Amino acid sequence: MTSAAEFVGVSQKFGDFTAVDDLSLTIAEGRLTTLLGPSGCGKTTSLRMLAGYSRPTAGTIRIAGRDCTRVPPERRDLGMVFQSYALFPHMTVADNVGYGLKLRRVAKEERRRRVMETLELVGLAHLAGNRPKKLSGGQQQRVALARAIAIRPKLLLLDEPLSNLDARLRVQMRAEIRRIQAETGLTVVLVTHDQDEALEMSDDMVLMRAGRVMQQGPPREVFPAPANRFVAEFLGYENFLADAEGRTLTVRPENLRVAAGAADADAPAGPGGLLLRGTVAHIAYRGADLLVTVDATDDTGAAVRLLCDVRGGAAEGLSPGGEVTVDAREGALVRLPD
Amino acid sequence: MNTRRPVAAALAVAGYVVMLVPILFVVVTAFTAGSTLRFPPEGLSTRWFEEALGYEPFLTALVSSLQLAALATALALLIGVPVAVAIHRGRIPGKGLVEGLFLSPLIVPELVVGLALYQQLMIGFGLDSLTALTLGHTALMIPYAVRVTGASLALADPHVEEAARGLGASPLRTFATVTLPLLRPGIFSAALLSFVTSFNNVPLSLLLQTREFRTLPVTMLDYVQQSYDPMVAAMATLILAGTVVLAVLAERTVGFAKIFGGINR
Amino acid sequence: MHSRKSALLLVPGLAFLLVGFLVPTLLMLFSPPGTGAAEVFARLGRMLTDPYDLRIIWRTVRLGLIVTALCVGLGFPIAYLLARSTSRWAGVLLALAIFPLLLSNVVRTFGWLVILGANGAVGQALVATGLVDRAPQLLYTELAIVLGLTQLFLPLAVISCYSAVAQVDPGLDEAARGLGAGRVRTFWSVVVPLSSPGIVVAATLVFAGAVTAYTTPYLLGGSGQRMLATQLYAYSSVTVDWASASATALVMTVLVFLVSGLSSAFGRKGATA
Repeated sequence: MTSAAEFVGVSQKFGDFTAVDDLSLTIAEGRLTTLLGPSGCGKTTSLRMLAGYSRPTAGTIRIAGRDCTRVPPERRDLGMVFQSYALFPHMTVADNVGYGLKLRRVAKEERRRRVMETLELVGLAHLAGNRPKKLSGGQQQRVALARAIAIRPKLLLLDEPLSNLDARLRVQMRAEIRRIQAETGLTVVLVTHDQDEALEMSDDMVLMRAGRVMQQGPPREVFPAPANRFVAEFLGYENFLADAEGRTLTVRPENLRVAAGAADADAPAGPGGLLLRGTVAHIAYRGADLLVTVDATDDTGAAVRLLCDVRGGAAEGLSPGGEVTVDAREGALVRLPD
Repeated sequence: MNTRRPVAAALAVAGYVVMLVPILFVVVTAFTAGSTLRFPPEGLSTRWFEEALGYEPFLTALVSSLQLAALATALALLIGVPVAVAIHRGRIPGKGLVEGLFLSPLIVPELVVGLALYQQLMIGFGLDSLTALTLGHTALMIPYAVRVTGASLALADPHVEEAARGLGASPLRTFATVTLPLLRPGIFSAALLSFVTSFNNVPLSLLLQTREFRTLPVTMLDYVQQSYDPMVAAMATLILAGTVVLAVLAERTVGFAKIFGGINR
Repeated sequence: MHSRKSALLLVPGLAFLLVGFLVPTLLMLFSPPGTGAAEVFARLGRMLTDPYDLRIIWRTVRLGLIVTALCVGLGFPIAYLLARSTSRWAGVLLALAIFPLLLSNVVRTFGWLVILGANGAVGQALVATGLVDRAPQLLYTELAIVLGLTQLFLPLAVISCYSAVAQVDPGLDEAARGLGAGRVRTFWSVVVPLSSPGIVVAATLVFAGAVTAYTTPYLLGGSGQRMLATQLYAYSSVTVDWASASATALVMTVLVFLVSGLSSAFGRKGATA
């Protein structure tokens, strides 16, 4: 894997606040990398430094092997899609998409051809003459995408591109962005706070917190093996408990099973490696499933509150205050590194 | 108006009467056939319009006022738009202080500024009337340019300019192809407000007049003091007609209320 | 514009402000030709004890306060009714209230000469009804000045109040009504307190305008009912008494700064409360 871009020891401070702290990261050529984390984790700041809108206080940024730390955005040849789309309201869709080509002195006929080609790629050729204001949010998003890729950028940067769309459209656009990436072969860096989006779209994901990388790797490697409690919580591991040696274990709600009645005190743990007795504190009905809250005691004797996602039939006999036994599915219990 | 709120409605009607009825009286008086300011008017004629349009001092002053307003407006925009851009898009320390400084001509009474320019620049430095008036009017209009164009900059998505940079536009090119077009409504509003304010101004212009260069409002004031005939009413009606045209133009382009939205904090 | 170079954009503006406004104003106030700051302050001291000068200062402040009360008292109801109206005429009425701001003060004030003058509408009407034999003196009175200034500044009060009332969620009115408050009580306990920042802005703008206006006291007050502005003009142009002119200018400026300061202090208190 060759690198399309690199952060080497990059920091960004705004006064006393450190937005990005000694970040070193390699963006692999031709892949889709997501920067994932809660707001304020430094993901957008990192993207803005990569695009040249913000100059790091320390470190080096390389694009295609060249040190670009002090290069202004207009000479980086990157395509950026802003969260607000930032379409030029005084230009038509075609003029928006052709803006970067015009600046590159692409001849008029060639420009027209490439604008239409790019608009076809995003499925908006029929709206070329419209003003952005007349378009729906999803359409504006596609125009922003087309504008960014029309210049055939070295990298395509997407800052929370789907967060302003409604839920259904968001899911559609995930696949759409992957399709466009596959067709163009572009290297994509995507910033998001949505773990589902990152898991579904990424080739590589980078989890960030307080300006530092918490874990990185392909989704299939990161998801089953969170490196620490922050990553686990962020990816939806709701339950944390300690084993007999006091090491931290975590397990997802959908991987816990609840059975009515208390098991024998000395019953052995099943293949899941977990067997706890507890009482039901609360049951929330969610249509397809039930979210059962169980108060239990872990192997160190500490009280734990477990969230168990129970599918329809398995909920029989459960009621608030009732005694239950909780165990885990095989291989679902994750031990966090110390 | 709502009849279920009788007190408020009565006060509102009184307010409209005070605001608008005197203007109606000016118009009615302008069409009198008589030769004094008298109500009801004696007969109907357009003779005072003919008189006003043939009265040399009014015509000269009208041209002077239009010149001055155009000059001050252009200068104020040329100076004020960069200031607004620096305040809203630039990286300058103490932005609040800088903005306050550029809005300060709005706080000091205009008559006081007029006296200062008269005493210090015209008497002290021997500046001619047009130069002193241009300086004063421009200084007074800069706040309008800074605040009104600043308001439309504050509303615009700053990422739009970043997008242009990312697509390869230099800062100057970004300003010309993106920022300036976005500012167009703000610049139009500021220009309209500045022009009208400068054209109508009395307190600032009052002391800066000379025999060679007089503005229309001050010339009309002097005329009222000397004679009591309805010619000023006719001139006033003509100004009213011009203002109405300008107001309709403003309503058609950016919307009336928006123009004042920017200046009113 | 992400560099410190953007400060360069301020240079022409700063230069203009210094030459065309700040330096001349400061020199005039504190170092008028032929005299100095000491003389100006001595004159200021005499002004604050001299009955003639004091009467002018007091008249200016008093009329300013009356006009402010009238403008807010008439302007707020207009703003309130327009902001809460669903009629399509509301837009037209709002435009009618704002339009006078574009119109020359001379034109607007001139109308009162026709209404209040010796042969004016009010006088003639009174004579016609037989209530009086001769038209009473209305022009060149404080009443005339108050009417003229109210007409002048009412539009300013309307837009300031309008933008404040328009921001008060009508849902709050409905909530108060739903909780049992009547129309009047809702107005005083919900609408007025929530739009008080706009009322303060309106009052400040009107007062500052009224105590510095020149055209209205000149046309409607004449030399008998001098206010600070007309007095300042007389000192600078008729008697050419620079020390007195500077002292008068100082009084006017301080008066305006004082209300602006009070108003922004109120604004800050309102923001933190």
